[in-house]
Amino acid sequence: MSLALDTPAMPARPPWNQRIAQNLKDLVFNRRWLAFVLFLAVWQAFSLRMAGVGLVPSPQKTISTIWEVLANGLFFEHLADSMVRLLAGFLLAMLLGVIVGVLMGSRPFWDEFFKDLVILGLSLPGLIYALLSVVIFGVKLIAPVMAILLASYPFIAVNIREGVRALDKDLLDMTRAYKVGRWRVVRQVILPALLPFILAAIRIGFTIAWKASVLTEVFGASSGVGYMIRISFQLFAVRGILAWSLLFGGVMLLIEYGILLPAERYFARWRPKVKQVI
Amino acid sequence: MNTPAVSVRELVKYFGDLRVFDCISFDVDQSSLTTIVGFSGCGKTTLLNVLAGIEPLTSGSAEVGSGKDRTARLGYVFQTPRLLPWLTIEQNLMFIRPDDVDEVTHRQRSLHYLEMVGLKGVEHKFPYQLSGGMQQRAGLARALCIEPAVLLMDEPFSHLDEITAAGMREEMLRIWQETRRTILFVTHDIQEAIELGDRLIMLDYHGHIFDDIQIPLPRPRSFTDPAFMDIYANVMRSLLRMQAERAEELQVTPVK
Amino acid sequence: MTSNVGSVSVDLRAPWAARVLQSLKTSLLSPRWLAILIILVAWQVYATIRVSRLVPTPLKVAITTWDVLASGLFFEHLAASLVRILLGFALAMLVGTAVGVLMGSRRSWDEFFKDFVILGLALPGLIYALLSVMFFGISLLAPLVAILFTSYPFVAVNISEGVKALDKDLLDMSHAYRVGRWRVVRQVILPSLLPFILAAIRNGFAIAWKVCTLVEVFGAIRGVGYMIRASFDSYSVHGILAWALLFGGVMLAIEYGCMVPAERYFGRWRPKVKQVI
Repeated sequence: MSLALDTPAMPARPPWNQRIAQNLKDLVFNRRWLAFVLFLAVWQAFSLRMAGVGLVPSPQKTISTIWEVLANGLFFEHLADSMVRLLAGFLLAMLLGVIVGVLMGSRPFWDEFFKDLVILGLSLPGLIYALLSVVIFGVKLIAPVMAILLASYPFIAVNIREGVRALDKDLLDMTRAYKVGRWRVVRQVILPALLPFILAAIRIGFTIAWKASVLTEVFGASSGVGYMIRISFQLFAVRGILAWSLLFGGVMLLIEYGILLPAERYFARWRPKVKQVI
Repeated sequence: MNTPAVSVRELVKYFGDLRVFDCISFDVDQSSLTTIVGFSGCGKTTLLNVLAGIEPLTSGSAEVGSGKDRTARLGYVFQTPRLLPWLTIEQNLMFIRPDDVDEVTHRQRSLHYLEMVGLKGVEHKFPYQLSGGMQQRAGLARALCIEPAVLLMDEPFSHLDEITAAGMREEMLRIWQETRRTILFVTHDIQEAIELGDRLIMLDYHGHIFDDIQIPLPRPRSFTDPAFMDIYANVMRSLLRMQAERAEELQVTPVK
Repeated sequence: MTSNVGSVSVDLRAPWAARVLQSLKTSLLSPRWLAILIILVAWQVYATIRVSRLVPTPLKVAITTWDVLASGLFFEHLAASLVRILLGFALAMLVGTAVGVLMGSRRSWDEFFKDFVILGLALPGLIYALLSVMFFGISLLAPLVAILFTSYPFVAVNISEGVKALDKDLLDMSHAYRVGRWRVVRQVILPSLLPFILAAIRNGFAIAWKVCTLVEVFGAIRGVGYMIRASFDSYSVHGILAWALLFGGVMLAIEYGCMVPAERYFGRWRPKVKQVI
């Protein structure tokens, strides 16, 4: 026999000073901060130890170099050059990738036709595309564009292909039964279904694209982030490499995780959650 | 012979702040078939888990076998088959071979009990190649093949369709009568409980034993038997009383 | 009717002959051959039109490839590269598995390593290659460190997924039946982790050889990457292609020849799931 007395009472809210202490503790002992602080500490220790050799710049020096590069506009100047090449190449890669992907996804004939090319494209390192483009096309714009195109389109194609193959035949049959106009079908059935795949393709393709782009610039360019990285390498300036890599990498990661990934998640929210690895 | 097969004494169990059992005590006789019923979430599965050693208890004791024999073997049939998918059926039964049994003997017993549950010939198949009912039967064979003192069963037929479940109940009774193991059977199905058990223990929401009913009916039991219906009515009345009390408390508890 | 294949008479009416002929016909006419044919033709046309030292014909590339292979040069440099790749990858597996197990078992470790792993996955191998060469010069250490840092995150992510996916129900069942600890590790935990370990190996190895090549391009005096760099410096497109295709071929052979069959063998208890590629 039991009454209300038996149900566990709700714990009382701790006083405000205890809550603040708890929040502070959570912040300080937050693992991610801990890891970051540890990383900085180790870095600092290394740079001090190797101070004589000048090989490992301290965190402060790196930050000041980054600031310099930003402040005198050098970064934006070269970033602009890199972005132009990146976007040009990426747009072409999207074009080719979508076409190939749609073809591969709709008919087995095209699937077989492009299969080897795509697998090859996926497996060859971006390095090869970069080197070949620079040798054949020199310092012109077409070099990075070609490299990006060849390196990136397979990834886009594979994703689009999956999207096309995943199109729900039942839904398409339904539209035929109701004699829905072709344009409306494309707009309201096909495109929304493809959208998550298109966005995934954009995100993955973009990742490959900027890496291929930088690689091409390292080997053959007279401007751009890759070019500046090569200069730093030739001058043995670790600070330079770190500064330019972190800045450019930062911008790219911002685009990827700040724009592309949220967009992908937003447009895919009607899907039942499938585990993403990363 | 008079020592109980299962002995629970003043068992208290908390999950953090949530109290699951409040000082319950009961004994289970050797070779009996006892069912445990109660609404979802009242701790039936937890009771089995504590007996099996999967969950720690907060205080009190819950023992299988006599006090000295702490390593008495027990078998556990879960709601889902819980077979290792990368092992064949036979390998699954070999997996739980106790240290004091040699391989040859254990294999013989495994094949024997597989046949007893009607799974002769599938021992080299992987679980995914078997139907749900067959997988569950394999789980039952696994529990039996170590010839345990006590068999714990947690709603083992609740995920099967009614026809398969009815068949399994029949088989289980047959095996029980043949092997005379002590069985502790958890279910939310009152009819199943009365059909199977000598005794029905009802748990309430506060971790108390709300009712403890003996079922002295002869087997085979039939739902249409008036004695069966009597007991069924009694049990339902108890349940409804429990529900009413719960509803009362939920109104009495002030909302913060 | 018969046909002479060499000195052997083949009766084309025989059923097995018909089957072979049929499969030959279908495979030759298959779209895959068509694609290769078109590429080769287009390439040949482009090379002929654009008469330039920089654009070799397919034949030239084939000859160069054969030369590199026949002269033993390929195996010499392949061996050098493979040593670096395998050592570096072994290190990456070690570190990656440790980190992955930690990340998979406790949330706190997951939080701790999360940024390192994301950074490792996101930063291009180029950076690690350049920095390694600058720090360690032309030594064995440069590729090892670069491979370690780029490859371990892939291993860690896969292993941590595997640990997170360990089925608590099965572990509880083992506990209820008092199964010995060693047996549980061997027959429950390891088989459960195996597909993830294989995925980790596949992903980790793929990135390892790519980064190793990069390091060799910037700072090595032996190895496939070094030879590719040499070809680049002498504007030899056929050189680059020859080395890239040979090396890529070996890597693909390892991936599809060893790893895919291994995955299939160890996964035969699974109900068949559709593969993407």
